[in-house]
Amino acid sequence: MIVPFNHVFMLAGAVFFLGLICIFTRRNLIMTLIGIEVMMNAAAIVFVASAVHWNRLEGQAFVLFIIGVAATEVAVGLALVVAAHRVTGSVDPDRYNFLKW
Amino acid sequence: MTSTAPMDLTFLTTAVAVGLPFFAFLTIMIFIRAYPRLSAALSIGSVGVSMVAALSLLFRLWSVQHPIEYSGLWLGGEEFSLFFGFLLDPSSLLMFALVGVISLLVQIYSLGYMKGDPGFSRYYAFQSLFAWSMLSLTISSSLIQLYIFWELVGLCSYLLIGFWYEKFSATQAGKKAFVMTRLGDAAFFLGALLLLLHLGNVSILEINGPSAANRLSPAFLTVCVLLIFGGIVGKSAQFPLLTWLPDAMEGPTPVSALLHSATMVAAGAFLFARLFPFFSHSPAAMTVCLAVGTISMLMASTMAMVERDIKKVWAYSTISQLGYMVMGLAAGSSFAGLFHLATHAIFKALLFLCAGVWIHYFETNDMYEISSKNGRSLKIPLFCTVLAAASLSGLPPLSGYFSKETILSVLLQKDNPLWFVAGLLGVFMTAYYAFRPVFIVLFPRNLEQSSHEIPNKALYWAMACPLILLSAMTAGLGFFEDSLSGFLRTPLPQERGWLLPASVAVGLFGVLLTWYEFGRRTAPRIGFVERYAPVKTFFLKRWLLDDLYAYLLKTVIYRIFAEPLTRNDRRVIDGGIKEFCRFTVSSGRVFSHVQAGLLRFNLMVLFVILTLVGLSFFLL
Repeated sequence: MIVPFNHVFMLAGAVFFLGLICIFTRRNLIMTLIGIEVMMNAAAIVFVASAVHWNRLEGQAFVLFIIGVAATEVAVGLALVVAAHRVTGSVDPDRYNFLKW
Repeated sequence: MTSTAPMDLTFLTTAVAVGLPFFAFLTIMIFIRAYPRLSAALSIGSVGVSMVAALSLLFRLWSVQHPIEYSGLWLGGEEFSLFFGFLLDPSSLLMFALVGVISLLVQIYSLGYMKGDPGFSRYYAFQSLFAWSMLSLTISSSLIQLYIFWELVGLCSYLLIGFWYEKFSATQAGKKAFVMTRLGDAAFFLGALLLLLHLGNVSILEINGPSAANRLSPAFLTVCVLLIFGGIVGKSAQFPLLTWLPDAMEGPTPVSALLHSATMVAAGAFLFARLFPFFSHSPAAMTVCLAVGTISMLMASTMAMVERDIKKVWAYSTISQLGYMVMGLAAGSSFAGLFHLATHAIFKALLFLCAGVWIHYFETNDMYEISSKNGRSLKIPLFCTVLAAASLSGLPPLSGYFSKETILSVLLQKDNPLWFVAGLLGVFMTAYYAFRPVFIVLFPRNLEQSSHEIPNKALYWAMACPLILLSAMTAGLGFFEDSLSGFLRTPLPQERGWLLPASVAVGLFGVLLTWYEFGRRTAPRIGFVERYAPVKTFFLKRWLLDDLYAYLLKTVIYRIFAEPLTRNDRRVIDGGIKEFCRFTVSSGRVFSHVQAGLLRFNLMVLFVILTLVGLSFFLL
């Protein structure tokens, strides 16, 4: 591999934290979903890098599953966002607190 | 085995030829859909460059000795490795050039045919997508890569059959084509995966090599061959999956010419020729293929003999000619199949395009109506149809004569004379159904007096020029038999002296019978098959194949699988989830007292806890 193994891990870490920050700071449910996607992709990067590093096929195969799960999750997530928007009229997660009362 | 890809001229030419149509597709779909003229120009320009590149490749590599392969590892490990790339060998180069030429001609023709259609740009985008996937299919280096493009051309077929999606029958036909071919493709994919698991490599050169077949047991080999042949049956509309092709005529006529006669459906026969050395290791499977080809050839011919819709006649004829190709291949000569594929692609595209001119100007598919609306006043399509029909029925000296001759002489070498007799019977029926529309249009009864002015000369010529070019090729291609055989490095089959006059006589007898029944002045214009009403309806209903499918669907799929599964879904799964939900809601009521009600805060707490758990693994 041309890129050093460590660097890929750093990249994955950076991507993961970007996703995390996105989730914590944005007040938009869709952006939260995007943050989750970004974090999943960070995990996928780690898998691919490890698969290449140790020359094992399983890691690459797993990434296919991650991609599949990510796509499914977006489909379900967006459907939930639409449903939530119909109920509350907003996509701000801070407003979804009526389970509390 | 795998050459790394050096950036030489051949590679670049191939990449350009394949890449440009895809680029055109993306550009049209994303940027210039609103400008129909620009879209058409881009699409035609790119496929034109592809065609030039393909032809230059064909000529440059005419005398090359070994197949050229450029491939790179796409996915791999210890157990198996998948290579993607280009494989240039004689059969793929021939098909590559053929697809390029016919795509270009059909796209030019479509300028006239699709004039003023609201989906003009979309049409050209799909045509480009098809050109890309079909060109890539022909030069795929591994079976899995070929399968990917195989599915892509299937997608193009679906999109283009249902092109006029506001018409209900068109969407239904598209769906039917998609589902039926998918049935075969499932078998193909299964076969490819089995090979991949057992050989560890499915590059086409590897499979065809001598070592591959020796590593598999004969029974397993037969299973693999039959599974892959399932894909061929689906794509080439062979028995028992043949009823989707006539329905596919709902699409625009140039689409029928390009996809559903010349190139896409021929991909099945092409795959057969591609894997021919591998297939021929299993004589049992080859006999099954031969039988399937024969049955489809005869069955489709009988259907074509009673059909009134001119496009459907040619569709049935396509099935039966594909049956001929499969017969030639399965009887043991890859040359016979490939040569007939090439000649058939050209004359059948010509037949469809001619029919398209009539359909465009008279707005009817019925050949009797075309006839009474004075279809013969359009001289160019009339002349071209006669030429192509003569070629289809194997009359000398047209190209169909040469290719059908090779197939018949291969069939004659088989021990069982049954195959040859079936082939000869097919020649008779082909001549009969090919000339039936010709005589009906040529000698009209009760002519409607209508002054049919051709409104736009330029567009008429855009449609007529491809016809003239194609008929020149139809007339000339047969004389290149020997050089093609040398190029493909497959020997010409031995010919018997009496075969030539015999098959020509059978063909001529078919033509004469048609003339007697449809052509002469006092002809009854009712075929000898149509006299017997039950037989006629039986053939018109496609040997009740569709009814059989409907019945199977209703009894097997719905009764045995769908209904119990639905009940399971409603009662067990839905009921279980409902109970679970009730439980969750009631427990949520209890636990709601603990939470803050802020989603992001909850996520943060979750993250902190998980991080602490993760850290504890390292620290403890």
